Amino acid sequence: MISDLPTSDGARVPSAAPSDTAGHRSDQDGQEGMASVIPTPATRVAIIGAGRGGTALLDLLHQLRTIEMVGITDRNPDAPGLQRARELHVPTYERLADLISNHRVNLVMDLTGDPGMDRILREQTSGETDILSGPASRLLWDLVRHESALQAELLHSEKLAGIGSFAAGIAHDMNNPLQLILGLAENLLDECDIETVHEQARDIVDAVKRTTAICRDLTSYSRRASSQQNSLIAINGKLDEALKIARYAVALQDIDIRKSYQPDIAVKGNPDELLHVFVNLITNAVQAMDHGGTLTLETTEVQGATRVRVSDTGCGISADLIDRIFEPFFTTKPPGKGTGLGLYNIKNVIHHMHGTIEVESHIGRGSTFTITFPREAPTEDRSRPS
Amino acid sequence: MDEFKSGFFVGGESCNGRVLIVDDEPDIRKVVRMTLHKAGYEVLEAENGAKAIDTINTGENRLLLDVIICDIRMPKVNGIEAIAYFRHNYPRVPLIVLTGFPDTDMATSLLRQGVVDYLVKPVEGDKLKASVARAMEQRELAHL
Repeated sequence: MISDLPTSDGARVPSAAPSDTAGHRSDQDGQEGMASVIPTPATRVAIIGAGRGGTALLDLLHQLRTIEMVGITDRNPDAPGLQRARELHVPTYERLADLISNHRVNLVMDLTGDPGMDRILREQTSGETDILSGPASRLLWDLVRHESALQAELLHSEKLAGIGSFAAGIAHDMNNPLQLILGLAENLLDECDIETVHEQARDIVDAVKRTTAICRDLTSYSRRASSQQNSLIAINGKLDEALKIARYAVALQDIDIRKSYQPDIAVKGNPDELLHVFVNLITNAVQAMDHGGTLTLETTEVQGATRVRVSDTGCGISADLIDRIFEPFFTTKPPGKGTGLGLYNIKNVIHHMHGTIEVESHIGRGSTFTITFPREAPTEDRSRPS
Repeated sequence: MDEFKSGFFVGGESCNGRVLIVDDEPDIRKVVRMTLHKAGYEVLEAENGAKAIDTINTGENRLLLDVIICDIRMPKVNGIEAIAYFRHNYPRVPLIVLTGFPDTDMATSLLRQGVVDYLVKPVEGDKLKASVARAMEQRELAHL
């Protein structure tokens, strides 16, 4: 039964499908192109048990386009997986029979841990429905947890690797105030004018504060992502924070920065991971503009969805590369300059936030990365009887 | 150091030489000016490479500018581009790099191009003045 499950969305699903999480669009020599779409039959899945295991599985399977989530049920109406399902627009059911009957379920996944559940499920399903329960479902739960831990580790490793490129920016921003502090302190040794002494002492204090702020920003950014998976994140503030961090990695002096923010918009997700996404996109955008250009950061609400755009006027991405940019270990940067995991991790973070990311690029004119987050799910559950 | 003084007069006061500091940070220009002014130098300022090129091409600076102190990471024309311009057009004006980022490869390359010194911020006043004095010596020799 396990062999029927896709091992990864990327392996089976074309990346530029309309509702995929990573779409590409490029224009080279006047020809615009998008990757072709290969239809894949969906496996209709029901989850029994909405505790931690059911919730994690729901999060994972919901990202796979080859899976159609028929619904989830739990004896406990307050089980966390039921709330999560409502957020994801996955139907929830009070009664097991309502879920697995009349829905042409291909696969029932039992995460209850109840030894008697397997028998009940076999009695209530037809022979055409596969059932995953007992040790097999426990193994699956272990794999889901392992995969989740690996993703977090990969994200953190890539972030730390990227911080290496901050060295020049950090040195610049630290050593400049240190030069000021040293110069003023040396001057104060033989300065007699009290007004000048006060003025220069104040300058020293300000310079120390600036240096401290750099350390604070970087310490905060380099820490492991917190476990706040469902925090409400003010998008505009997060973009500004990312811009501040990105300037350690790339020089922004010759970049015209334009912001077009819709006020007071927020999305739910992990704030540390989203900051990393924005830092990566901004860094990539500036690196694409070797000789200066315009970086545009835009946030909007469109038909209830929240959209974030990061655009550059740089070199653009050629049509033969654009389909590969979200692949792991794919990079166009020189050896030692990029891990090839940046956009791959971005795609995964956006996946976890149930959003999509698309890129449109024109050679010589620049690229636009568009992230779209779904609107907040309604709180009522239409599958439950009133 | 006295033996290397240019000894021309600015505003009625004796001046050890005319130095251009090129840095996008006003604070850096301020402390360099303060340090060198105390040591008897006249200090001109430019906030980027483009402004520095304008400054050296302006009026008597073509002839009277003695030393250029240049940062690397700057907007518009950066330090590398500006230094290349100065070496090509004003080969007799000694250059000192004053940068926030220590980069051995870049230092080697710039010293090979004839830069007098590659200083990494923060630099003590005495060290900066000694470096400028060495540059002035080179300037004096270039005039012989």
